[in-house]
Amino acid sequence: MVSQPNAALWVIPALPLATAVVNLFWGRRLGRWAGWVASASVIVSFAVSLAVVSQLVAKPADDRLFLQHLFDWISVGRFVVGMDLRVDSVSATMILVITGIGALIHVYAIGYMAGDPRYGRFFSYMNLFVFFMLMLVLGANYLVLYLGWEGVGLCSYLLIGFWSEVPANAEAAKKAFITTRIGDTLMLIGLALIVSRFGTLDFEVVFGTAGTVLTKDAATAIALLLFAGAIGKSAQVPLHVWLPDAMAGPTPVSALIHAATMVTAGVYLVVRSHVLFELSGVALTVVLVVGVVTAVYAATCAIAQQDIKRVLAYSTISQLGFMFMAAGMRAYGVAMFFLVAHAFYKALLFLGAGSVIHGMHDEQDLRQMGGLRRLMPITFVAFAVGALAQAGIPPLVGFFAKDAVLEVAQHTGREVVYVLGGFAAFLSAFYLGRMVYLTFFGEPRSDRARQAHEAPPVMWAPLVILAFGVATAEWLNLTPEGRLTGFLESITGVSPAGHGLAVVELAVVATTISIVALALTWWIYGSGRVDWRGFRERLEPWPRAALNGWYVDRAYDTVVIQPAKAGAWITAYVVDARIIDGAVNAIGGGVKLLADGGRLLQTGFVRSYALAVFLGAVAILVYVGVRS
Amino acid sequence: MRTPIAFYLMLSGILFMLGTVGVLTRKNALLIFMSVELQLNAVNLALVAFSRLHDDLTGQVLAFFSMVVAAAEVVVGLAIIVAIYRRRRSVDVDDVRELRW
Amino acid sequence: MPLDNVVFWVFAPISVASAIGMLLVRNAVHAALFLIVNFFCLAVFYLLLDAPFLFAVQIVVYAGAIMVLFLFVIMLLGVDSGVPVRERLLIQRPLAFVLGAAFVVEFFLAIRAGVGFATRAPDVFTANDGGNTQAVAKVLFTQYFFPFEVTSVLLLVAAIATMVLAHRKARTVTQAEIDAAAGEPDTDEMPVYGAGAAP
Repeated sequence: MVSQPNAALWVIPALPLATAVVNLFWGRRLGRWAGWVASASVIVSFAVSLAVVSQLVAKPADDRLFLQHLFDWISVGRFVVGMDLRVDSVSATMILVITGIGALIHVYAIGYMAGDPRYGRFFSYMNLFVFFMLMLVLGANYLVLYLGWEGVGLCSYLLIGFWSEVPANAEAAKKAFITTRIGDTLMLIGLALIVSRFGTLDFEVVFGTAGTVLTKDAATAIALLLFAGAIGKSAQVPLHVWLPDAMAGPTPVSALIHAATMVTAGVYLVVRSHVLFELSGVALTVVLVVGVVTAVYAATCAIAQQDIKRVLAYSTISQLGFMFMAAGMRAYGVAMFFLVAHAFYKALLFLGAGSVIHGMHDEQDLRQMGGLRRLMPITFVAFAVGALAQAGIPPLVGFFAKDAVLEVAQHTGREVVYVLGGFAAFLSAFYLGRMVYLTFFGEPRSDRARQAHEAPPVMWAPLVILAFGVATAEWLNLTPEGRLTGFLESITGVSPAGHGLAVVELAVVATTISIVALALTWWIYGSGRVDWRGFRERLEPWPRAALNGWYVDRAYDTVVIQPAKAGAWITAYVVDARIIDGAVNAIGGGVKLLADGGRLLQTGFVRSYALAVFLGAVAILVYVGVRS
Repeated sequence: MRTPIAFYLMLSGILFMLGTVGVLTRKNALLIFMSVELQLNAVNLALVAFSRLHDDLTGQVLAFFSMVVAAAEVVVGLAIIVAIYRRRRSVDVDDVRELRW
Repeated sequence: MPLDNVVFWVFAPISVASAIGMLLVRNAVHAALFLIVNFFCLAVFYLLLDAPFLFAVQIVVYAGAIMVLFLFVIMLLGVDSGVPVRERLLIQRPLAFVLGAAFVVEFFLAIRAGVGFATRAPDVFTANDGGNTQAVAKVLFTQYFFPFEVTSVLLLVAAIATMVLAHRKARTVTQAEIDAAAGEPDTDEMPVYGAGAAP
């Protein structure tokens, strides 16, 4: 592919960075304007992205690559890493998603965070996050990607623990950062391996020469290490434990970071590095297995959650599993399409949940809600659209995305994946239905539910826009050979085709599963005919286990955290305080002992000094005598 | 001469040893001083004996100078002892032990 | 029996005995007298070794001047009567004796290895030609003239130093000093001759 230089690329991340700085220093003085300033910069960034992408599309399919070299970042001997930006079809998709949905969420947050004492700083962090996420996807080499990777991790930490007065929030932020750190460190080792093999981190060079430079084992090692980073960042099993706790952050944060963008960075990484993954067949299998396991596991946890945001958190984990499933089956275009669709409807669901929470005066427990569709109609409609989309009801975009993944599985002969994916899809529709019916249907179950009010326009406007987008986005990709995947093919390659059931048959099966699930949940939760509380109690202890994520957190605590804490305690109080300090003190004590002994020589008596002199003289005489 | 020179030298050694033991053992400053004189004399004896052995007057001249210096030293040393006595009313060397730990 | 042998073996024991006596007696005056005896013996040895000049000088300077000076000071300070001493440094005496013995043994070995116990001085002391005194004078005023002059300066300096040291105006001894001196248990009991006593 021939690349063209484009001098405008830097504007896209620079705008949010600039307003982040502005809000950081002058946010307090800006007051209410801080939010509008932040949103405006993301909107303008979106406009610039649109312009760049339209320029890109205008080019012939083989030529869709813009590069911009900003400056030499690292230049040591022959190892050079530049601050290079790159726009191709994949990153074009990403920047549109990030800036577009990011802008909507910023506007929403103006309303949601109104009155918060650290309003300006919130938007500074949000802008900073957008900047880093853009750098992540715009990077033309792994180091710029890693810069963005770490940066979004930092912003995630800052934003999850935004209300740090509550200790649980700070704990959640720490947990997120440390858990992703494990993945990040492994990823960094992967980058080091890349440097050692290729001498550079540039995408063009690495992907172009990978076939000749890497052995299968080296490729497997690198791919698995990179995937480890993706597991952490995208909250896949086994590093998924931070995402449910991350819901402690403000809802716009959950929407932006933990639904639409940051958690998708792992998928982007795998898609971007697919050349390396394909050189090693093992790595792709690992990706597929992790994706399937995560999709099913998280869905089982989601159906038992009582907090509206935690349902969505586990749902996100599960949906990301679907994306990795697609990637593991080499259907990278499908994975990207799923990413885009998910960004739309997940952001919508989160913002809707935020609206519900806002209207319920910060109540998040599903059991306290009920009947809100009459009191919050706009939220209800938007939320329902999002839920239907994710549940996979045609003609909404979610159906096409999920169907594409399952179709690839079935057509390439992976029946097990197909069945498990279908099961996860069933559970997905189930928990969505449960959530919708418990929240919006039936009778209000608490005072707060009875006095709930609709969100202000600044909040429901983005909801409506997103709902509209969800409803119409399927034009992106009506079929697996649709526009988006075609657009992406220049980078991702063609999705694997195969033989199996016809497309129509698959669609019917998928839709049926979803409708059955929704009907089931209507009957249990919505119709009022089933005592769902008693139903849950009779099923104990399974619901409690699912609620606690099948006790993975507790297992980590016992196996990893407590031994680490014990080790740290030993190191601090035994090794350092007693052994090392003891050794140092012993040296001091030893010197003191020597000195105490030595000073006894200074008796003050002249005669003893004379004796010492005589002793020395005799000794010397003896020595000389013996020698001669 | 019929006496082996070594006898004179041994005698000198014994006298020197006795003088040293006196220096180390006595507490009266004057007695210590006298022991030092004994040491000096023992050395003088050795010098003269060697001079006789090697047929060279250098030994005798050295012994002579040694006596002169010893005389000067005795004079100054006794003056010091007198001065110390005036200060402390004692010539016991064990009483001057400030230079200690 | 050769004469010098007899004389040697008569005076050597006397010399050693007087030295030991000097070590053992309590009374300082007695010790000084023993030392004088020792010096006389040494003078005889010088005579035996064909150094009559030194024989005379030894008696005149050492026994006659230096020891007299010692006796003067002893009597002046009144430290003649010794007090039974309680040795504070327990290791001092034994170690001194041990080292002394070691030294003598060493000396013996050194002599045996060096000069040898059989060596006798030559029968004729040619350096004494023209008389010992004349020969010494000849060497002294030619070869060792410079040290000779230096020693004269040395004597001058010593005399001046003594005058300075001893001629200080006697200070009044304060009660604190007496108490401090009295506090030490092994101090000899000194009669105080009063403040301002001149030497």
